[in-house]
Amino acid sequence: MTLSARHWTINKKLAALVGSLGFLALIAANPYKGSRLELNGRELSEIVQKEVDHVSAEELAGWIIQGKSDYRLVDLRNEKDFAEYHIPTAENLAITSLQEGSLARNDKIVLYSDGGIHSAQAWFLLKSNQFKGVYILSGGLDEWKDKILFPRLNDNASPTEIAAFEKAKLVSKFFGGIPQVGGNVASGIPKLAMPKLESPGAGQPKAGPAKKKKEGC
Amino acid sequence: MNAPLFKFGMFGDEVSLIVAFVIGIGFGFFLERAGFGSARKLCAQFYFTDLAVFKVMFTAIITAMVGLFWLSWIGFVDLSLVYVSPTFILPQTIGGLILGAGFVIGGYCPGTSCVAASTGKIDALVYIAGIFAGTFLFGELFPFLSGFYNSTPMGQVTIPQFFNLSYGLVVFLVVMMAIGGFAGTGWVEQKFSKLAKETMP
Repeated sequence: MTLSARHWTINKKLAALVGSLGFLALIAANPYKGSRLELNGRELSEIVQKEVDHVSAEELAGWIIQGKSDYRLVDLRNEKDFAEYHIPTAENLAITSLQEGSLARNDKIVLYSDGGIHSAQAWFLLKSNQFKGVYILSGGLDEWKDKILFPRLNDNASPTEIAAFEKAKLVSKFFGGIPQVGGNVASGIPKLAMPKLESPGAGQPKAGPAKKKKEGC
Repeated sequence: MNAPLFKFGMFGDEVSLIVAFVIGIGFGFFLERAGFGSARKLCAQFYFTDLAVFKVMFTAIITAMVGLFWLSWIGFVDLSLVYVSPTFILPQTIGGLILGAGFVIGGYCPGTSCVAASTGKIDALVYIAGIFAGTFLFGELFPFLSGFYNSTPMGQVTIPQFFNLSYGLVVFLVVMMAIGGFAGTGWVEQKFSKLAKETMP
């Protein structure tokens, strides 16, 4: 066997190539990126401008009803509020624990808090830490209550609004809410009771941190 | 499909179906062209008379591995975004053994059975019917099996993490294993083909 590479078969050449790449890998540094903050201001501002990082309450409700499990719903409120009520399938994580490894960079993450401030702050934190698929529930839990749990039909609603309300009623019932008809918000309606956690959550698979995906050869 | 492009909303459901279709057709085409639409060829693997399956699969593995390593090293790919299937060691071991036994008995794995069926092989059609029957049975029995199905979870773990080795060392070891394996296949094939000729009636 000659040592001259000119006489090697293609297989030998490929073996030599992959062998040397493998050997160099021994001395190359770890390619995994560590936890460091890195901001791409332009990219971030464009995302904010185009609002592509928002998930509406209706969209989220649709995902839950369909039983989608390709995302993780993160409740950023405190444990007590979480125990009182949370959107079905949500998991409770404090902002301080977001970077401690319970979320993966390749997870699709939907954040929510009461309004929008906390989730926006967490969004920025995760984005700057190279998490790619981070979304905010538009309007937070407040909008979830208004649009999903307790949708309201105004007295002078147009036919399209009535048709939309019929749909919203079904969604509301699925989540154990109570659709509201007539009246207006300012007239002092008693505080609406949040649905009990068992009713909407019972039929729902609880999204744990370990989820299985089906794959095949 | 766990491609981050779809997951992170770079294209929607419809486009993802088209992408899956194109990749699937391409995958099937090359499987067929490699001869993997034939149960005889696939089964020869288990008699060590033709190790084409081993060579093709190992080539794919090291190409992807070395490619990902170096692409991420130069900063083109972010490895932390690549989806890693969670490990459930016991159920996955049992599942692997069942799939392997099915492969030996039926002569196909799920992907190659579809490839073989597309060229009109009757045994492949029977095999596919078996896949659907088994899937249906598993689905019906899932309430009884779910405890085992979710047992021994280890999370999303990789070999370098689990054995606390450097990523580069694992790449090197697998490459060496592949080169050694390829060098040995010719000898193994020859030896067992001879043996098969001697022992077969």
